[in-house]
This record gives sequence, structure tokens and C-alpha cells, in this order.
Amino acid sequence: MEGRWPFALFVLLLIALHFLLRIGLGLEGTAPDLLTVALLLTARRVPAGWAAGVGLLMGLLRDSVNLTSFGADAVVMTVLGFLGARSRDYFVGESVLFLLVYLLLGKWLHDIAFHLISGGMATGEPFSSVALGSAIAAVYAAVAGVVALSIYRALARE
Amino acid sequence: MPSYFESRRGRRRETVIAALFLVVALVLFLMPEQYQQPIRRAIRTTVLSPFIGFQSALAQQDTRMVDVGALRAERDSLSAVLAAQAPIVEENRRLRGLLGLRQRAEPGFVPAQLVRVGVTGGESTFLLNVGRRDGVAPGSPVVGAGGLLGVVREVEEGTALGVDWTHVDFRASAMTADGSAYGIIEPRPGRFREEDLLTLTGAPFHSDIPPGSRIVTSGRGGVYPRGIPIGVVLGIDEADTGWRKNYVLRPLVRPESVSHVLVGRAGEEGASDASTLWYGSAPPDTGPDAGPVREAAEQQGGDR
Repeated sequence: MEGRWPFALFVLLLIALHFLLRIGLGLEGTAPDLLTVALLLTARRVPAGWAAGVGLLMGLLRDSVNLTSFGADAVVMTVLGFLGARSRDYFVGESVLFLLVYLLLGKWLHDIAFHLISGGMATGEPFSSVALGSAIAAVYAAVAGVVALSIYRALARE
Repeated sequence: MPSYFESRRGRRRETVIAALFLVVALVLFLMPEQYQQPIRRAIRTTVLSPFIGFQSALAQQDTRMVDVGALRAERDSLSAVLAAQAPIVEENRRLRGLLGLRQRAEPGFVPAQLVRVGVTGGESTFLLNVGRRDGVAPGSPVVGAGGLLGVVREVEEGTALGVDWTHVDFRASAMTADGSAYGIIEPRPGRFREEDLLTLTGAPFHSDIPPGSRIVTSGRGGVYPRGIPIGVVLGIDEADTGWRKNYVLRPLVRPESVSHVLVGRAGEEGASDASTLWYGSAPPDTGPDAGPVREAAEQQGGDR
């Protein structure tokens, strides 16, 4: 319980940083996908229903600047939040290696699911190029997420 | 630390809550565009407005920080060119005044800075730092130095959201610069975004557009002003059912390289013909304004 508010603040900072880097500074894909990282980290700490709700809200934030497939990211993030929370039933632990793999798979799953649900109408790119591109983006996001969480843990003394 | 284990009843309750959220997400995803638009706008103008505002401020700052030395060198070069071309400029001004082209070209567009939104699935979407107060409206054309870049879709007071020609829904009525063939422009996705091209679809089968021909907007449909360059013909794509031909075009504006654009203003008379922005005169076609242009050109020929 005592770590709830600092962690909520950390997640809000990740969300703000995501939009600051991608929209505010115009870095686009050069910046890591901290929004998905924030959801995946949240999902490990809250009940599955709440994780889905947080995913819905985060997805809507991202969808608001997407003219092609509004709601697609909300659907994907809702499911991802739920699955992330349910992953606690199968994988116990918070080691760096585990988090790296968890974030990598979560982000990869997000990008592929988004491509499928938006039916290629968003990008028109072939699946193979999406799978490869999102794998690289997933590694980037996972490393950024682990670094961010390590800083948080050091500051919050978790 | 997180609670790892829940009771069976708790798990069921959480699954039901998650299912409800999923239903809400699916409803939002499947609802018609006209209902999605206000939700999208509400989020953008509240939660995301600080980030969009920051982007606008940063873009203006970037513009101010252009190297003064480079500007001075450019000014000197321009002064030299202008001094050398003074007679041509004077003649051009007189002819433009004669033909009334100045009124047509000048008030129709407003300069803007463009920033990509950088979200998954929004690769074809961009933000502009001009909006309703600048006379921009949904459907306003967005042009770069080379020609047509895209179109504005949603407008707020000081910002606008648009899509470029790589968007799957992008369409533009087009013609060859000499007006010999008309068709519709569609995006032609490549294996990678850098390979994206355009297609001129529905050109008459009897027309033969040679490679290198310039394709411009035709002005039909009233969305884009007539005469904005779009692309250059690379070759024939395919013959459609034996009655139509499709041509592959090399776009004149690559979306990834554009940061400053001109945005068409709604309701401006000058916005109906933009050919004077790229040509000395309107392309010789059968447009409604071609009569006075041709008469003036004949009169000019007669004077010589």
C-alpha cells in the first residue's frame, strides 16, 4: 500500500514523458514507446480489471491523434492490460531479466495486435516488415522501461 | 509490493470488469466517424493540449533560431538576383496585374509548421500550428514547396490535424498539366514507407501519358484548388477492364522531408486556382478561367 502513490506518480511521469518526447519535441518513433511500458508496469501491480481500465484510457489518449483507426489502440491496450495483470498468475518475480523479457514481449504483442486489428488500414505495410520493425521497437522500449523502473526503485527505495 | 494472488471470486469479478472495459473500447472502435470525432477532439484539446502547445512553441522557437549569418548570405544573394532580374520582375508584376492573377494566388494560403504525431498507426497524420482563427477548415489543402502534400481533416482554434498523401483514404482529382487526361490520385503503398508512390487511376484508355509528364490537381470536386503539382508520371501501372489506364507517379513532395507548409484558406476566392504559385501562368487547359488568360496572352503576342 505504501508504494501506491509514488508508483502512480511514476506512471504519470512516464505517460507525460511519452507525449512530451513524441508530440512536444516531435521525436516520433525515435523516442521509446513509454505509454505501453507504463501500462505493462502498471498491470503487474493492480487487479486485472483496473489494468484493463487503465489500458483503455491510455489507448484513448494515443487514439486521439490518430485519424485512421480511432479506438483500435484502446482495444489493444485494454486486452494488454488484462493479460499483463494475469501474467502474475504464471510468472512471479520482478528481476531485471524477467522485466526485460516481459516488456519486450508485451510491446511486440501490442504492435502486432494493433496492426491486425487496424487491418493494415493504418499503414498498409506488409506483416513481415511490421513484425521486424516492432521487434526492434520492443527491444528499445524494454530497455527504456527497465532503466526507468531501476531509477524509480532507487529513488523510492523499493 | 504487488499482490500476486487473488481469490477465485476476485478473479471472476476482475474478469467481468475487464470485459466491460473491452466492450466500451470495442464500441468506441466501431462507432461511426462523426461520433468518434468529438471524443478525439475533446481529448486533444484537454489532456494533450499542453504537449501540442509545447510543440507549437518549440516550432516557432526553431524558426527564430535560424543562423543569422546564413540568413544574411541568403539576403545578399537574393538582392543580387533581384537586381539582375528587375526588368523581368516589373514586367511580371504588370502582367499579373493585367490578368488579375495576384488576387487569385495571394490570399488563398497561410504558412504553417508541420509536426508528425509519432504514434503507432498515425504515420500519415500530422499536426499544424494554424487553425480556425487563421481561416483553415476541414478539407483545406496542405502544400509543400514541390506541390500537394495532403489535406486538413480536423480543425481547432489554433491547431489542425491532417493526413498526407500516403494515407489510405487520400484521393485527389487530377489531370495532366496540359489538361489532356483526367483521373483520380490514390496512394500506392510500397514494401516500406520510403517506397510509397502515387497512382493516377481512371485515365481514359485512348490517352497516352508519356513518362515525365507532370500531374496537377484538376480542381474538380472543389476540395483542392486547380493547378497544384502532385507528381511526375513514371510509367503505366495497369489497364483497368480495357477501358481505363492507371499510371504510377513519383510524388513531388515526400512527407518525411516537410516541416513548413502552406495551408489553403476556406472561402478565399484566390484558393480556387493555385497554378500561379508554381507556374508563371495557369496551365493551358479548359478550365473556367482559361478564356481571359488566353485572350491576354494573344494580346501580349500581338503587341510584340
